[in-house]
Amino acid sequence: MLFTDRSIWTMVHGIVLGGGALMGLAAALFYLYAARTSDGPQVSAPNGSRALAALTVFTAAMLWLTVLVGTYIIFPPYRATPPAGVTGLGQFPRSLIQASSETAWLHSFAMESKEHMSWIASMLATAVAFVTVRYRWGVLHDASLRNLAAILLAISFTLVSFVSLMGVFVNKVAPLQ
Amino acid sequence: MATRTVPMEPRAAREEATNGSAIAAFLGGSIGAFAMGVVVILNEAGIFAAPTLYGPAGGVSGRTTLATIAWLVGWAVLHHRWKGREIAPRRIYPIVLILIGLGILATFPPVWRLL
Repeated sequence: MLFTDRSIWTMVHGIVLGGGALMGLAAALFYLYAARTSDGPQVSAPNGSRALAALTVFTAAMLWLTVLVGTYIIFPPYRATPPAGVTGLGQFPRSLIQASSETAWLHSFAMESKEHMSWIASMLATAVAFVTVRYRWGVLHDASLRNLAAILLAISFTLVSFVSLMGVFVNKVAPLQ
Repeated sequence: MATRTVPMEPRAAREEATNGSAIAAFLGGSIGAFAMGVVVILNEAGIFAAPTLYGPAGGVSGRTTLATIAWLVGWAVLHHRWKGREIAPRRIYPIVLILIGLGILATFPPVWRLL
């Protein structure tokens, strides 16, 4: 078989869901930036604000799916302990990367970061999604709401970019097969 | 194209005219981030280990669930108290950013090595 179930789930987690979330975060950030002018937003409400609301809800949904799939589908086989006597660690990524001092940081730093930071990104994106849905017009026209929404999205984008990069590193050395 | 305007309920209109629900959502998110940091740092310090809720995933299932509950409860309480009210953003926004910063810092593995 060309791809195993595990590798397909890894691609869904990292590329489809995580990639979709990153694109959504970037698009929402750009939207908020483009709507910001010295005289106030130029985007015509309610069509513009409805698009932003849809975009942030999509992004939050992608992020939650990413962390749930990562935590409950990808992580268990990653951390599985090899049975006694097994010499080939290809099916046990955590043990494989911990077996070498050169790659051990991929667990102690990269994977340990991924376990928790992505959940924070999801919470922040959900807060912004809620505000853009409830205050469709206001989030574009109220500078204080718009600015904090943009800051939280930027933090979320940074966190997701970081954990995505860590995921690429881990998957490069010890892919789920 | 014809459009139809649905009149807004007075209560809903009042809540949307004020920023209380939005500030509650932002502060709720920061509480969730901070809770995640606290749960993780307590676990790494050996003070408190959240129960494992899903064996194959290990302790992360309990830690993230606990932080998520703290986020949702905090958000719900704040939303209930602040909806329909006008909250001064300047008082709350620094708290939001500080809580998020502390939460992220506490989930950063190099910080655990300092314990």
